[in-house]
Amino acid sequence: MPENDRDHTRRPDPDALLALAEQGGRGKLTVFLGAAPGVGKTYAMLMRARRLREDGVDIVIGLVETHGRAETAGLLEGLEVLPRREVVHSGRTLCEFDLDAALARRPRVIVVDELAHTNLGEARHPKRYQDIEELVDAGIDVWTALNIQHLESLSDVVTQIAGVPVRERIPDTVLNRADDVLLVDLPPAELIERLKEGKVYVPESAKRAIDRFFRLGNLTALRELALRRTADRVDDQMVDYLRQNAIEGPWPAAERLLVCIGPDPLSEKVVRTSSRLASGLNADWIVVSVERADHEAGNREAMRQLDDTFRLAELLGAETRRIVGSDFVEEILKLARREHVTQIVIGATRHRFPLRLFRRSLPDALTARTSGIGIHLVTDRDEPAARPAGRQKPALPQRFWRALAIAAGTTGLATVLGLLIERFIVLQNISLLYLLAVLASAVYAGYAGAVAAALFSVLAYNFSFIDPVGTFTVAEPHEVFALFVFLAAAALAGGLASRVREQAKAAAGRAAATQALYDFSRKLSGTARVEDVLWAAVSQIQSTLRRNAVLLLPEDGDIALGAAWPPDTELGVSDMMAARWTFEKKEAAGNDTGTLPNSPFQFRPLVTPHGVAGVCGFVQQDKPLEANEERALAAILDQTAIAVDRARLSRESLKQAAQLEGDKFRGALLSSLSHDLRTPLATITGAVTSLRQLGDRMPAESRDDLLESIEEESERLTRFVANLLDMTRIEAGTVNAKHDWVDIADVIRSAVERARKYFPGREFETSVAADLPLMRGDSVLLGQVLFNLLDNANRFGGDEPVGIYARREKDEIVLSVTDLGKGIAPADLEHVFDKFFRKGKPDGGSLGTGLGLSIAKGLVEAMGGQIKAESPAIRRRGTRISMRFPAADTNLSGKERE
Amino acid sequence: MTAERILVVDDEPQIQRFLRPALGAAGYEVVEAMTGTQALKTAATAAPDVIILDLGLPDMDGKDVVASLRAWSKVPIIILSARDRESEKIAALDLGADDYIEKPFGIGELTARIRAALRHRIQMEGVQAQLSADGLAIDMVKRVVTRDGEVLRLTPKEYDLLVMLARHAGRVVTHRSLLTSVWGVAHGEDLHYLRVFIGQLRGKVERDPADPKIIRTEPGVGYRFVGDDD
Repeated sequence: MPENDRDHTRRPDPDALLALAEQGGRGKLTVFLGAAPGVGKTYAMLMRARRLREDGVDIVIGLVETHGRAETAGLLEGLEVLPRREVVHSGRTLCEFDLDAALARRPRVIVVDELAHTNLGEARHPKRYQDIEELVDAGIDVWTALNIQHLESLSDVVTQIAGVPVRERIPDTVLNRADDVLLVDLPPAELIERLKEGKVYVPESAKRAIDRFFRLGNLTALRELALRRTADRVDDQMVDYLRQNAIEGPWPAAERLLVCIGPDPLSEKVVRTSSRLASGLNADWIVVSVERADHEAGNREAMRQLDDTFRLAELLGAETRRIVGSDFVEEILKLARREHVTQIVIGATRHRFPLRLFRRSLPDALTARTSGIGIHLVTDRDEPAARPAGRQKPALPQRFWRALAIAAGTTGLATVLGLLIERFIVLQNISLLYLLAVLASAVYAGYAGAVAAALFSVLAYNFSFIDPVGTFTVAEPHEVFALFVFLAAAALAGGLASRVREQAKAAAGRAAATQALYDFSRKLSGTARVEDVLWAAVSQIQSTLRRNAVLLLPEDGDIALGAAWPPDTELGVSDMMAARWTFEKKEAAGNDTGTLPNSPFQFRPLVTPHGVAGVCGFVQQDKPLEANEERALAAILDQTAIAVDRARLSRESLKQAAQLEGDKFRGALLSSLSHDLRTPLATITGAVTSLRQLGDRMPAESRDDLLESIEEESERLTRFVANLLDMTRIEAGTVNAKHDWVDIADVIRSAVERARKYFPGREFETSVAADLPLMRGDSVLLGQVLFNLLDNANRFGGDEPVGIYARREKDEIVLSVTDLGKGIAPADLEHVFDKFFRKGKPDGGSLGTGLGLSIAKGLVEAMGGQIKAESPAIRRRGTRISMRFPAADTNLSGKERE
Repeated sequence: MTAERILVVDDEPQIQRFLRPALGAAGYEVVEAMTGTQALKTAATAAPDVIILDLGLPDMDGKDVVASLRAWSKVPIIILSARDRESEKIAALDLGADDYIEKPFGIGELTARIRAALRHRIQMEGVQAQLSADGLAIDMVKRVVTRDGEVLRLTPKEYDLLVMLARHAGRVVTHRSLLTSVWGVAHGEDLHYLRVFIGQLRGKVERDPADPKIIRTEPGVGYRFVGDDD
């Protein structure tokens, strides 16, 4: 470490300065530390607050418990006190600290009492220290109070001293990170005096426990803890100061602790002890476990215990590692060398009898192979009460009874078989049959089965085959010896067989997990749509972890549910808050985390190189994941994150392609429009200039023809411009369709007349039903629609006549125009009413403007009707455009008609 | 002399309708084609003297018609095009079309282009040695350029550029064909050369370089030499 070097330039240690700089944007945390309740922490805090207030500093009281003491309450006078948040907890209304109000108020300094408090009800964080961390992160200075007993690393010591378990605990890191720790001290005798005078608040319910607690011995011990802790801190601060200011100090070489733990109850104690040791030595500490590759599928209860111990270690500020390997000592030493560890802490578990014979204990093995590393042993104290409740070995599992049954069965079978064989041939080594039974039991029922089968075998063999037959007595001494040899052989063989079986099972489990993951990744690589990826992911989580899951993706600045299993899952307000927290802070939130633990879901971020792609939530319901499940989940989430990212990118590129397509379409539209306008203009200009410059050289009929073409093209231009205007009006929604009585037969007649004039040589056949009712609408608009349709039919109708039909269908009038041209391709059929849609090239030939049908549609709809196109219309040819309007009955009675 | 025959290729009947009598009155014989295939066939059989070609044809791209024609014929081709089809127009010119005219156009403009194209065809047959424009005289045999009788001193590149333009007098010459013929194929895209040298050349040959009368700019396409005959 660099601080060991005698640096002649005496530059400040960059790491130390960096740590100082990192504190820049944060607020300062000041902890008023006391040995016990009643020493006057709140009082001290408020006194200082008043002084600061008088100096004009913006200080507010976030929360202070006066416990009804007038003395303390009096100090609150003149100080700004934030209102509390009311929460309903188990039917009672309680007042809690309002974090959001404090963040909104943003004072320079805020006073929040009782650091170790556990929040009740629907709070963002389960613990008050987390609220305070958020305040400090937001740049607000916080003053708070803490009793030494609530420190996590001291909780077992305090339990020993006071005999009362400590329920509310805070991680040591909170105190270590505090910028200032002020010790509020009161001699124990004085404290007891105050208690007797009733100056210390004691809740009625805790009276008896408190009496036990407030004893001189207890208080003195706690006071020592508090004093020592504060002294350690002062020491640390001095060392920090020396480093920052480049003062060469005699600080010791940095110590690094390696703490080895395993899936046993002792490990928890090892971790707590190491934590104290580490803070005493001012050392970094690493907690490690070495797991055998083939043992992970083994005892679930043990694995859960190991997970818990790791969580505790992290809480106490340790770095944690889990190593998979076969040689415990080698792995530990490798890590120790790599991490420059100076001391190793291990628990000295007393091995059970058979293991102690075969295996050298871990401490022995370590001491034999290390040099220059200190080794601490933490021994187990037989103290069943200290074991956390609920950790007792579970009742004999069903597996055990199954093993017993298998062992009995196989032994019985071997006996029957032996007796049968003995009847026909004389077999010297009938005991071999029993060996078979033991091996079979080992394979099918594991180690327990093997041992049970061996015992049963010895008894059965003795009973059935050794003289005197039919009793459990043994006549010949050498037979006794043979029995023991048999028992040992059976146990060994059974042990081996059961281990092979365990390994096979573990391998199969791993293979299945790998296969599942492989299948999942294949499924993902085959899907390009985000929805499919999300669905695959939630169903994979469901099938792997057997937990319901949700996936949320960013949407318009927020996140929204993308997929869920079961699909009808809905997220509550607190679930969404937790998910958002995860999305914004890139860290887990929800159940079993420090943030919003009331949600049944735990949320994890989907992290990609481009940031957080989304959030995955799964139902945790206070059952933490096991280590192998955790690994599986991490793999699934990684794959999902990548797939979501990829899908998002491909969707973006599709969008770009669509935009490009749109640009192309607009380009084509513009060029067709310019063509439509320019062709008549070109004709008119050309004809006019020809007439002016060359007119006198032309024959009279040519001149007439040119003039006629000028007229026609002008008309064409007029029609086109009118169509454009109509379209604009339809798009702007300013078509004012009248609501008059319209006689359709009349409209058809005049439209056909007009069409005949425009399209000479085209035949039109009309067929109008005699009983056709009137309709409500605008005869002028309807006439225009019909003319547009006739124009279209003329253009595409080939040489056959165009038919116009009108008839009544129930309450509707159906009006159709049918041509017998080539018809419309099915793919184009749905586009015929699109603006500027037309067949052929955009500027090709004498096609229409591409507006006729879309105008017709706009006008028909403005009159409350419907329009649709069919093709082929008749005999696989032609196109029929039909319109439907509601029939309007005039309700004229027969008499009125006359 | 028989009337020159002009092939008009356009799929718009109304354009044909006014071009036929107008060109007829101007003294040309008109043959018509509505599609690209028809145009190629008629060009082969009717031996037109000039082809007027619309680029937007229903059956094939007008540029392909130019390319196919140029494979076997040197007949002058005048492109009919819209103003928004700049790149198509230039591509057609680079493929060997001789000139272009934008729709809508006056008949006088069209007949002027036809005359220029026909004159060029005649020049191809016999080399024209001398050319005059607005007081400028170019003697391509002696390689002397005079302005109102006074000899102008042109650099070799300026002279090459001027001659290239003058040989195509009355017709547009694209940037690319100027660059490749004067500077070489590798400089086909070096438009800045052209800008600089055209500026220099105008400074020497034009009466008023700010209002050029001889070397006209065709925006986005190229330059056009306007001689006394045009």
